[in-house]
This record gives sequence, C-alpha cells and structure tokens, in this order.
Amino acid sequence: MNSIIALLLIQDGLTMGAVYALLALVLVMVFSVTRVILVAQGELVSYGALTMASLQAGHLPGTALIAVAGGVIAAAMELWAYARGPRSRTHLVAAALYVLVPLAVFGLVAALAPQGSGAFVRVLLTLLIVVPLGPILYRVAFQPLASAPVLVLLIVAVALHFVLTGLGLIAFGAEGVRVAPLIDGMLRFGPYFLSAQALFTIAITLALIAALFVFFGSTLSGKALRATAFNEVGARLVGISTTGSGLLAFSLAALIGTVSGILIGSFATIYYDTGFIIGLKGFVAAILGGLGSYPLAAFGAVLVGLLESGSSFFASAFKDVLVFALIIPILMWRSFSAGHAEEEEE
Amino acid sequence: MTIRTTLLVVFLLALAAAPFVLPEYYVTLLNYIGLGSLATLGIVLLTGIGGLTSFGQAAFVGIGAYATAYATTAWGFSPWFALPLGLFAAAACALAIGAVTLRLSGHYLPLSTIAWSLSLYYLVGNLPVLGAHDGITGLPAVSLFGVVLDDARSFSFLIWIFVLLGLLSVHNLLGSRAGRAIRCLRGRSTMAEAFGVDTTRLKVAIFVHAALLAAASGWLYAHLVRFVNPTPFGLNVGIEYLFMAVVGGVGQLAGAVVGAGVMVVLRDVLQDVAARVLGVSGAIEIVAYGVLIIVLLQNARAGIVPFVTRRLPAPEPLKVPDDAPSLPMRDRPARGETVLVADKVVRRFGGLVAVNEVSFTLKAGEILGVIGPNGAGKSTLFNLLSGVLPLTGGAISVLGRAANGLTSRAIARLGLARTFQHVQLRGDMSVLENVALGAHMRSRKGILSAILRLDRKEEGALLAEALRQLERVGLADSRNVPAGSLALGQQRIVEIARALASDPVVLLLDEPAAGLRYHEKQALAALLDSLRAEGMSILIVEHDMDFVMNLVDRLVVMEFGRPIASGVPGAVQNDPAVLEAYLGGAV
Amino acid sequence: MKTIVGIVCAVLLGTSAAKAEIVIGAVLSLTGPAASLGIPAKSTIDLLPRQIGDETVRYVVLDDASDPSAAVRAARKLVDEHKVDAIIGPSVTPTSLALLEVLGPSKTPGISLAGSGIIASPVEGNKRWSFKLAAGEDIQAGRVFDHLAKTGISSVAFIGFNDSFGDSFIGTFKKEAAARNVPVLADERYGRTDTSVTAQVLKIISANPGAVIIGASGTPGVMPVLELRKLGYGGAIYINQGMANSDVLRVGGAALEGAFLPTPPALVAEQLPDANPVKAVATEYVQAYEKVHGPNSRSLFGATAQDAFLLIRHGAEQALKSAKPGTAEFRTAVRDAMENARELIGTEAVFNLTPTDHNGTDRRASVIVRVDGGKWVYVPVDD
Repeated sequence: MNSIIALLLIQDGLTMGAVYALLALVLVMVFSVTRVILVAQGELVSYGALTMASLQAGHLPGTALIAVAGGVIAAAMELWAYARGPRSRTHLVAAALYVLVPLAVFGLVAALAPQGSGAFVRVLLTLLIVVPLGPILYRVAFQPLASAPVLVLLIVAVALHFVLTGLGLIAFGAEGVRVAPLIDGMLRFGPYFLSAQALFTIAITLALIAALFVFFGSTLSGKALRATAFNEVGARLVGISTTGSGLLAFSLAALIGTVSGILIGSFATIYYDTGFIIGLKGFVAAILGGLGSYPLAAFGAVLVGLLESGSSFFASAFKDVLVFALIIPILMWRSFSAGHAEEEEE
Repeated sequence: MTIRTTLLVVFLLALAAAPFVLPEYYVTLLNYIGLGSLATLGIVLLTGIGGLTSFGQAAFVGIGAYATAYATTAWGFSPWFALPLGLFAAAACALAIGAVTLRLSGHYLPLSTIAWSLSLYYLVGNLPVLGAHDGITGLPAVSLFGVVLDDARSFSFLIWIFVLLGLLSVHNLLGSRAGRAIRCLRGRSTMAEAFGVDTTRLKVAIFVHAALLAAASGWLYAHLVRFVNPTPFGLNVGIEYLFMAVVGGVGQLAGAVVGAGVMVVLRDVLQDVAARVLGVSGAIEIVAYGVLIIVLLQNARAGIVPFVTRRLPAPEPLKVPDDAPSLPMRDRPARGETVLVADKVVRRFGGLVAVNEVSFTLKAGEILGVIGPNGAGKSTLFNLLSGVLPLTGGAISVLGRAANGLTSRAIARLGLARTFQHVQLRGDMSVLENVALGAHMRSRKGILSAILRLDRKEEGALLAEALRQLERVGLADSRNVPAGSLALGQQRIVEIARALASDPVVLLLDEPAAGLRYHEKQALAALLDSLRAEGMSILIVEHDMDFVMNLVDRLVVMEFGRPIASGVPGAVQNDPAVLEAYLGGAV
Repeated sequence: MKTIVGIVCAVLLGTSAAKAEIVIGAVLSLTGPAASLGIPAKSTIDLLPRQIGDETVRYVVLDDASDPSAAVRAARKLVDEHKVDAIIGPSVTPTSLALLEVLGPSKTPGISLAGSGIIASPVEGNKRWSFKLAAGEDIQAGRVFDHLAKTGISSVAFIGFNDSFGDSFIGTFKKEAAARNVPVLADERYGRTDTSVTAQVLKIISANPGAVIIGASGTPGVMPVLELRKLGYGGAIYINQGMANSDVLRVGGAALEGAFLPTPPALVAEQLPDANPVKAVATEYVQAYEKVHGPNSRSLFGATAQDAFLLIRHGAEQALKSAKPGTAEFRTAVRDAMENARELIGTEAVFNLTPTDHNGTDRRASVIVRVDGGKWVYVPVDD
C-alpha cells in the first residue's frame, strides 16, 4: 500500500461516508420528530437514482405512477377523515393536493420525458416525482399511528420498506442502473488524482448539512420541527401540529433522499433493493450519534465509510464481518459515555 | 370452563388432529408456523415482556441449525446428541454476547444485535468448514423411539411438542417471582433494582432463554429441511421474527403462535392468489403483504391477540393459598434506636451543588419529614439515600452499616424500601402481583425452579404476604384488578404496600401526597400514623407543608441544597429562615 | 384457526388434481437478491408450448425470494398440491441444494437453472432426481484459460460476489489456474448491492495482473469493470455468462468494450457458423423470445429454462408410452428417459446425459464472445 492508494481509499471512504451522512441526518431528524426509524429511507434514495436513470433513458419512470397511486390513497384517507370527524376544510385542501400534485407532475413528466431534456431539467423532474412521496408515505402509513410505540412504528417502517422494494422491482426491474455523472473527470496532482464526482458529492453533502443547519436555526418551520423533537406535547400546546411537523420531516427526508440517490447513482450501480443496505449503514451512523446528535451522526457516517473502505482493501471477503464487529466496541464506548439511560417508554 | 380455557382446549385438539386430517402441504405450512412460533416466542419474552429489542434472533436459530448440521454430518452424531450441543452453543454465545451488549442503553442495544448478527452471518458464509455460502447438505432424519421422522406429518408432532414445551416454559416463568421481575424490566428497571432485583442478570437470563428457544427452532429446521446455509439466518429473517411478534401481539405468549401463523398463512395465500389471478408470484405479493401489515397495525396496534382477548372475559384471578407459610422476617430495632444517619451528604452535578452538607438522623418508630420548595434538592437527596445516585461527599449509614457507594439493590437489602414520586407500578399487572414484587428479596427461587414449577410453595407464601400487606393498607378488595386501573391516590397506597412487602426497617416516601385529593391525604396520613405506631421508621420527602406538619415527629427544611432549619414542626414553622424560604417570594 | 384456514384453502385448491395433464412446476427467484436470474426464466416459461405429444401441459411458477426455506415450501406446494411431474429451477445454488430433500423423497425430477456442479453430482441419493443444465464452470474455465494462453496473458486476478455464486465460480477457475500454472495475483470479494468496490479494485491494480476475471452475475458484475477502467487498468477483462444481458451492456457502456466472456452459444445464436450444432435451436428460441420481449432482451437464464423444458419434453414423450402423468411411475420414467438423452440439442449445449452424469455438456456448450461497439460479437476459436 502506498500513499496514492491510501489517498484513494480515504477518498472512497469519505465519499461513501458523505452519502451515509445524509441518510443518517435524515434518520435522526425523522426519528426525533416522529419517533419513526425510517427504514424505508433507503428506498427513497434508490427511487431517486432509478427515476433519474429512467429519465436519462427517455422513459416515463414508474415512480411517477407510484406517486399518483399513493396520492389517491392519501386523498381517500383525508376524505374519510372529513366524512367522519369535524368537517374541517383542511382535509379537503389536503385531499386535493394529494391527488393534484402527483397528477400534474405525472402529466409534466409524460410530456417531457420522451424529448430528452438537459441534466438540470432531469434533476428537477426527479425531485418533483420523488419528493411528494415523502408526505404521501407519512399520511398513508404513519399519521394514523402518531402515538404508537416505537417498536410498532419500526415494524410499519419495515413493512413500508417491503412495499416500496416490491413496487421498485415492478417499476424498474431487477437489473441495476447508473446515473450519468453531473460532473465527470479527474483532478490530477502529480501522481495523485481525485475524482471530481467524489468531490462534488462531498461538497453537496456539506452544503445540504449547512442548509439544514440554517433551516433549523433560522426559519419558523425549522424551529417548529425542533420544538416537536424536543417536546411533542409542549409543541402541540403552543399550536405546532404534530401532523404538520411529521409531513414536513418526511418531505425533507424525501428531498435529501432523492438528492443522495442522484449523487450515489453516478458512482455506484443502484438496484431496486440497494436501499436496504445503505439505509442500514446510515442507521448505524445515526445510532452512533445516539439518534439525537446531528454532528455525531455525520461523524459516525464518515467513520463507517472509512471502516468499510479500509476493510474492503485488506480482507474483502470479511468486509462486513469486520465493519459490523468493529462497531460493537464503538457502541459500548458510546453507550457508557452517554451515561445513565433514561427510562424507556413502557 | 371459561372461554379462554375452551379456546385453549380447542386449539390443542385441532393441533393434535391437524397432521392426520390436513393435506400434506398444509402440514408443511403448520411445521413452518411451529418453527416460527418457537423463535418468535423468544422475541415475545425478550422484546415484548423484557423490553429488549433484538434483531438477532435468527442468528441463534442459525447456531442451533449449524451445530446439529456439523455434528451430525462431520462427526456422525445422532441428532438427539447434537441437540444439547446446539443448545449449549447458543446459550454460551448468548451469555458471551449478552454479557457484553446487554449493558448497552437505549438504541445501542438493538443496533448491537444487528451488528453481531450480520458479522456472524458473513463469517459463516466465508467459513469453508461450514460449507461457506453453499451450506451443509445431507443431514440425517431424526428418529424417535425407533420411528424415523422423515416426512412432514410425523415431524410436525416433534415440532409442536417443542413449541408447547417452549410456551409452557415461558408461561411458568412469567407466573413466578422471577417472572414478575422480568415483567418490570421494561421501563421499570430503576424500581425493580430498588426492590433487590438484579436486572442485568435477569436480562442476560431472558436473552439466554430466548436463544435456547431459537436454537431449538434451528435444530428442528435443520432436520426438517435437512440442509442448512446462511440465508435463513440473516438479518432480514431476524426482522421477520420481530414482525411476527408485533403482528401477533408482542406482549402475549399466544402472540408468537398467532403472529407466526398469520404471517406464514398470509404469505401462502397471497402467493396462491397471485399465481391464480396473475399467473405468477413475486413482487406483487411482497407489496400486498406489506400493505396488509400496515393496515393491520393501524387498526390493532397492539397486535392480533390483544385485539381479540380484549373482547373476552378477564382471565381467572390468581389464587392465594390459605395455608401458605410466612416469609422470613428481619429483626427489628427497638423503638428509639438510630436506623438511618446522613452525615454531611454532598452531591454535585458539574459545578452545581444540588445537595450541600445535609445531615440528619432517623430513629426507629418516628416519622422524619424533609421539606423545601421546588428545586431545593429534596429529590436528589432521596436518590442519594436510596442509592440511585452516588454521593460526592459525606456518609450515609443504615442500621449502623455504611451505605456509601452501595447500589440501590444493596441498600434495599439493608432494610430500606421506597416509593416513587412518579408512580412506578406495572399497570398491566394485577395489584396483588405488583405488591408481591416488593417481597422479591425475601424469597430465593430462581428461573429454573420457576420453569419446572418447583416454586409453588414459595410462590404461595409470596402471594399470601402481598395479600397481607394489601389488607394492612386497606386495598385487599382491589387485589385482582390491573394496577393501572386504580386512581392515583390508590396507586400511591399500592406503592406503600409494595414497599411494606419487603419487610423494611426504614420506609422512604417520595412526595406521597402529590396529586391526592383531601380525603385521600387524610387516609394516607392515618395509614402512616398507624405504621409508626407499629414501630416503622419513615422518612417523607414532601413539599406539601400542611400534610407534613400534622404528621411528622421532626422536620428538616431544605433550600438551594442546604438544610436551613430542623426540629419539631412547631418550632420549624416559626423559624425566620423557613418563613423567608416559603413566603419570601410572595411578600 | 390455522386449521380452519388450512381446510378452507384445501377445499378451494382440491379441484386442480383431477384432470389428466402434464404439470410442470417452477421454483424461481422472482424477488430477492437473485431476481435478475429468475425473471427471464419466468418470461421464457410463459412462452413454452402448452402441449407435449397429445397431453396438455400446465405450468405453475412460484417465487422463492432467493431463500432456501421458501424454496422448499414452494417445492412442497408444487409436489403436494399441484402434483407436478417435474420441477424447473430453482435459480441459485443454495436453493437448489435445499430442494434435493424434496425431490428425492417425492420422486420428482428437478432441473436446476443454477451453475454449481455440486447440485447434480455425484449422482447418488437425492441427486438421482436432480439435473443441472448450465455448462460446468470447468468448461467455461477451460475456454477462458485457452484464450488467455493464445493471447499470451500469464497472470490473473479475480473479483466476485461474496456469496455462493462467487465461491463456486472463482473456486473452479482457481483450480484451472493451478492446473495450468497461471499465477493468481488477487482474489477479491464484494456484496451484490455494495455501493463501492474501489478498495478491492485498488488492490487488484496494485498486483498488476495480465487479466481480471469477474465472478459475479447481472449488472452488479459491471461495477468492478467500471472501477477498473476508471482507475486506469489497461489489461484484459473477462466477464462471464451470468452477465450476458443487455442491461449489463447498458450499465457498462464504454468500460465494457473489449471485454471477453465464455458463454453458451445462444447469446450469439445468429452469428454462429452454420456448422455449429445448436445454431438452429438457439436462433429459433432467441427470436421467439425477442419477438415478445423486445430486441436484445435475450437472457441465458431464460435459455437454460428453455433447455430444461426441452429435456423434460424429451423425458415426457418417452414416459407417456408407459405411464400416466401425475403418478410416481410417470415421474420415474421421465427421470430415466432424461438421464439417457443422447445428443439432445438445446439452445446452450448438446446434451449427452447418463445415469452418472446429470449435466451432460461438453466444450460445445461454451464459446468466446467479445463486447464490441456495445454488442456481443462471436470470436471464432479453433477446437
């Protein structure tokens, strides 16, 4: 092993770490706001990549149809709530949005997809298709379970992961895709070289983290999310709606997931079932941060990326054995330094 | 016969008849349900009852399966000889892994189960001795009394005998001294420790029990399919067992069987429907399966079994034997003897001094009150006395023995019993069982005797003691209702009964009057008064001045962590410092 | 409860066994890690004839999610509920091995679509009922190492799946390398859904082998190729028949140009010399398949399923003379006839089976193909 290889390994570890970091941040955010461990976040990432690749191939992505179908179910649930409960107009507006937004996007994509548009337009279309899935999924799967125990929410998240994986297989088939890189090429410094795509990925990750920081720190919705995360009952008392926070958290999750998908798809082949394994690594990172700390989660993600790249080099067949076995001492250290555990929910 | 018993008998009869009447394929399904039930039963015990979420159950199934696969093919062992080997291997692994990871708090524990089960999975896949990813083929069939069990029908008896034994073992365990403590692991471990329960040891014990159930399932699987490879023991299958438990009802034994049954049958029916309607099975089933689970949990979030049992009449109450022997009692100090001493007790949190050089003594047969406004450090002092927090400085002694640095469990053994500011009862357990937990330290029978039901005499004594304490506090009539259904005032009284069941010398009460109505306070005061008359020493931490003034013999008043006055109520009441502390802000 | 459900289901299903017809079951990986192998096989089964001799044929295709215990359950269902006369599949080695315990005791011939030799050899015990049609990996290895020798390459490295496929493929190739004294400079593994193989590829490049051989299937096999070329590897790359589909070409793009692979002739059916014995059968199959599923949609996993059918048809035609479908005698006769097939021409090979060889392929089952201009191009070699 020489310094060139070492540099490339670090670059590889950091790039993957950046992607895991985005996942970990989303998992921390969604968990703190809704107590859902969003296993299906990985699917939003793979949907992002698969949708983008499908648009690049000039096809109409199946996800656009999935969004329409999900929207119809969500709207039906809103109408049901309207019919049964207080006849609030919010339900009607929501129902209309759930149906019309995905439908409009579907129409737009159907019109634009075969023409072969530019990279920027495709990124935009991908976001338009996948991001509405976030609130739709929250509405359909989790909103009726707002006060359920964490374990039940976890199992629902796993069930949702099954649904999305199955739909992904139907919509995109079993073979993988690559997204054409938005930026290509290598930067050379003497014998050393860095991939522009890797740098781009790391840069976007940092930018997103900074944007989240600003969002949580300075905007009203960001503060509302933080308040819900801190004390749900208290937040409700001062007029912040749990449902609104949940929808917002899931929208952000879908947004970040889609961006991660477009990024990762340009240097890794993505399949309908890639989501689980990258989601798992993001989950590992999130927990290393105690499911509560954003900086620690990001740090954990980079650590997982580097561990992975290092153990792949030295003993690739035992890579996962090493990565996951090495996590246990880190977990113990984290657990004991976190001090006395709070009493868990009953 | 009650409806519950009838249901059980019908289930057992149907089970016994099933292998004879069902078509071969349905017997196969029944077998898989049995295998799933056995592993899921471990999850019910571990996760649903013990509160420890584990994704690693499938790994223990794998250990059981691989142990027998290797021992029977490489060494030519009989499967019956390989069974204890596999159980031993699983128990040893569970002990080792449990000793390391069960101390982890919060979310670290579930993640650690993911980590080690994945490590194990990939390790086995890369070990040529175990056939690597291709696994081990050609396992022998199991013979029982000379009958070779090599088809689905005969094997189903073996599987379901194991399942029933597993159910019986967990059922027996839960209805015992250890079982009550296990049921308090979830969210009530501080309380359990305060009554002398070694929660870490119990966690390891149920982890091992769950691993043994899984390993038995693995042994059965290996000899049913007669082929093992890593796939059925991966993380996704570990998640599936959790799935089965949650769908069936994670807190219920029957949940394991119902969950496994529903999942296996649902998958099969979906596969059939897909094959018939669409001509193919595959992705669409997974989608339908996921959707159905979501819909199910949205409508019955506690799972199927509670959804059904809610509609059934309540189960038979526990019987308390009339002739039960009494539990051993400790020697009581003579009235006036010093039982509890706090000497310049200090506790710092970083730069904040929460308790600053507080001293007092408590004598046998008196009630000492510690009062002070909110934030005075009363609760911290209480936690120091009961061993929940370690001291920064000073000393505490109980009955003349130093209590510094002891755990709350050890302090409880010295003769201290406590109640909690926020009531810490197990709401779904009966009042009687909640109180019986208090006597945990006065009895000894362990998990093995519980499973084998060798503990009935002692169990009777425990329940009789609990009933005696309930009679003492006047709640004997409520003994069979779930503790959670009582009013708050009564729940506080139940806590006192539980503390009394531990046969304490000193009773520590943390704000016992908080949230009580006037007449409830009066009843509480009367109870404490009568306990004092019986010679009990009581320390009350309280901020309700009126309640305390008419009750206690002496008072310590705290403000900002410091003691500002002490003495008999009348004198303290007129102390200028006390008036300043209580009324100063209002003047 | 379960019992009631079971009985209801049994009544609903009970109707199917009455009619006299040949029933062919299939257990395929339509979901899970091996879905890309199972789906083309399923598409092929949809196109199979509905008639053998005078008997109608019914097909029942079940998914095993690439999981052995699900495969066993599916096979039990085929055997017990649908009374199948033969089973096509499963798609991968572990599921195929798990099925042996169903095939043997129920006396049902099964034709695995997976690659590993141990599925059907040695032919004894339960493996008396197990067949495997894909050309042995030793035949592919022979082709590759002949080609390496001809092009003057003297060292190799491997990168493949960290699973049963990778173990079996790379294991066989390593044996061939040892037999021919070709040094193996690296043997790296990765997971099918891994998102980076940079580290493994760096290790290979630093060993500087003359050729890199990929032991992975489907589009996941492309990832090391892309990475090798990206990091500047200039040597030869050999992919394998598990990667011979159009998605691989799409994902691989320019990086795949010039890569070689040993493959059954069906992949390049039209380009084969007329003298090649399988040309006619293979061309007919790929054209029929692509007529339905679109140009360049051909898949060798589908071709293997086609050959499985051809072999079952051969067996059934013989067996119909002596027994009725749905009986153990019929299944035994099918098995006996299949294991005596001589010069049976399939899409991928010419099969000569015997009671001790349930594969029956020879060097004719593998040809060398190069990726050229985004197409599979037949490379003539002298035999």
